[in-house]
Amino acid sequence: MAEHVVGPVADFPPGTHRVVRLGRAEVGVFNVGGRFYALPNVCPHQYGPLCKGSVTGTTACSAQTGWRFAWVREGEVVACPWHGLEFDITTGRCLASPRLRVRQYPVGVIDGQVTVTL
Amino acid sequence: MTTTVMRPPERHARDAMVIVDADVHVDDAPGQLAPYIDRAWRPSLEALAGTPARYLDIPGYAPGMKLDPPIPGGQANRSVRSAAEMREGLSALGIDIGVLFPDHLLLFAPIPNIEYAVALSHAYNRWLLAEWLQEEPGLYGALLACPQDPDDSAREIARYAAEEKVVAVFLPTAGVNPLWGHRRYDPILAAAEAANLPVLLHSVTLVSPAFPCQLDQFENHFARQVLSHSFAMMANLTSLIHSGVPARFPRLKIGFTEAGVAWVPYMMWRMDKYFLEYRRMVPFLEKRPSEYMKERMWFATQPIEEPDDPRDLATTIGLYGGENRTLFASDWPHHDFDHPKAILKLPLPEATKRKIMGENALELFGIPAPAANLA
Repeated sequence: MAEHVVGPVADFPPGTHRVVRLGRAEVGVFNVGGRFYALPNVCPHQYGPLCKGSVTGTTACSAQTGWRFAWVREGEVVACPWHGLEFDITTGRCLASPRLRVRQYPVGVIDGQVTVTL
Repeated sequence: MTTTVMRPPERHARDAMVIVDADVHVDDAPGQLAPYIDRAWRPSLEALAGTPARYLDIPGYAPGMKLDPPIPGGQANRSVRSAAEMREGLSALGIDIGVLFPDHLLLFAPIPNIEYAVALSHAYNRWLLAEWLQEEPGLYGALLACPQDPDDSAREIARYAAEEKVVAVFLPTAGVNPLWGHRRYDPILAAAEAANLPVLLHSVTLVSPAFPCQLDQFENHFARQVLSHSFAMMANLTSLIHSGVPARFPRLKIGFTEAGVAWVPYMMWRMDKYFLEYRRMVPFLEKRPSEYMKERMWFATQPIEEPDDPRDLATTIGLYGGENRTLFASDWPHHDFDHPKAILKLPLPEATKRKIMGENALELFGIPAPAANLA
């Protein structure tokens, strides 16, 4: 376990994400509405660069939406650029399979610096 | 030269086992249904009754569009014309309970005349109840759904919902267009769900522009038969999943007949793979397609695959959770029927065999277990 400084908070405004290299690991750092999340930049599906994908919302359709498509969770979903697998940034879970999940690294802010613990 | 004699399975293998057959066929020739159809259409059926028919191919009634010559030296076609004959035939195979499907009206979906199709579906259901389900023990039936008029079909299902011997709704699958997942059929699926009747898809070999299309390009019936049933099931399963039927009808139970079982894990894996990529196109699915299939879809055995090593088939059944989701079916009296021994001989645990041969079907269809073997 080691805590790494990845940059000043000002470099990670809300709604953005960046991939940083920490030693041999690549980590995606996400600012979702003011909360920070860090995920490995490796998709558990076929090892694509998950965190280089776009951050979007996603579709929902259920009895609660009257069985009409709704747009939900804007800014909380990252889609792997290789095969489009969607992951919930806030939980690390793949939206399409309980078998696929990515780790979440602890993120902190110390003296205006964003830190990630690997 | 040896002759194969059909015998029931040995008693010792059977005494503790109820055998339920999820797919047997009654001879619904036009002349049989004529007295049961609305007056306006009776002359049509009476006229058809007088015309020579080819097997499962009666223009204006069962439009199979057969392109092949009769098979040289092929076996004679069998049909069952009465409840007593059916009871006798099933008992000879050691089968206690059969779920009845039509012969000719397997080819019902491509009938274009809506009024006529509605009348025909009413006539079949009346005839099934009157002539088949009351007469002999152990005969249960599937109502004929009418994709040509889903609202009428929903009323028909509600009409028969309380009938003890009606245990399912048959969705005619060959040549149905659009496929069964289309929202136009929602009233039929809602009625079946409300009546707690499983829907059973059953295909047949026919040449039609609907899925599975282009069977006309093959030179012979071998190829058409190989592809027709299983492709129809794969296409309709995909259709049901892609429009969210298992999510939109959370209590609906769906059965697939006469396509064997080996295609089932293939479709589970294939749909799950593309669900990873395209979930946002089908957001009504709250779990993977395979999970809906394992929960609420059943698969009938016939025509059971016959790999060189039967252990491969036992493994295949395990791949889709088939212990609890497989239904024995013979397809009696059709040309490619399976004897119960085709399943009983598989290297499966006895408890699994009892489920597949009968217990799964009793539970799915809500049929009380008979006190003693009926066969």
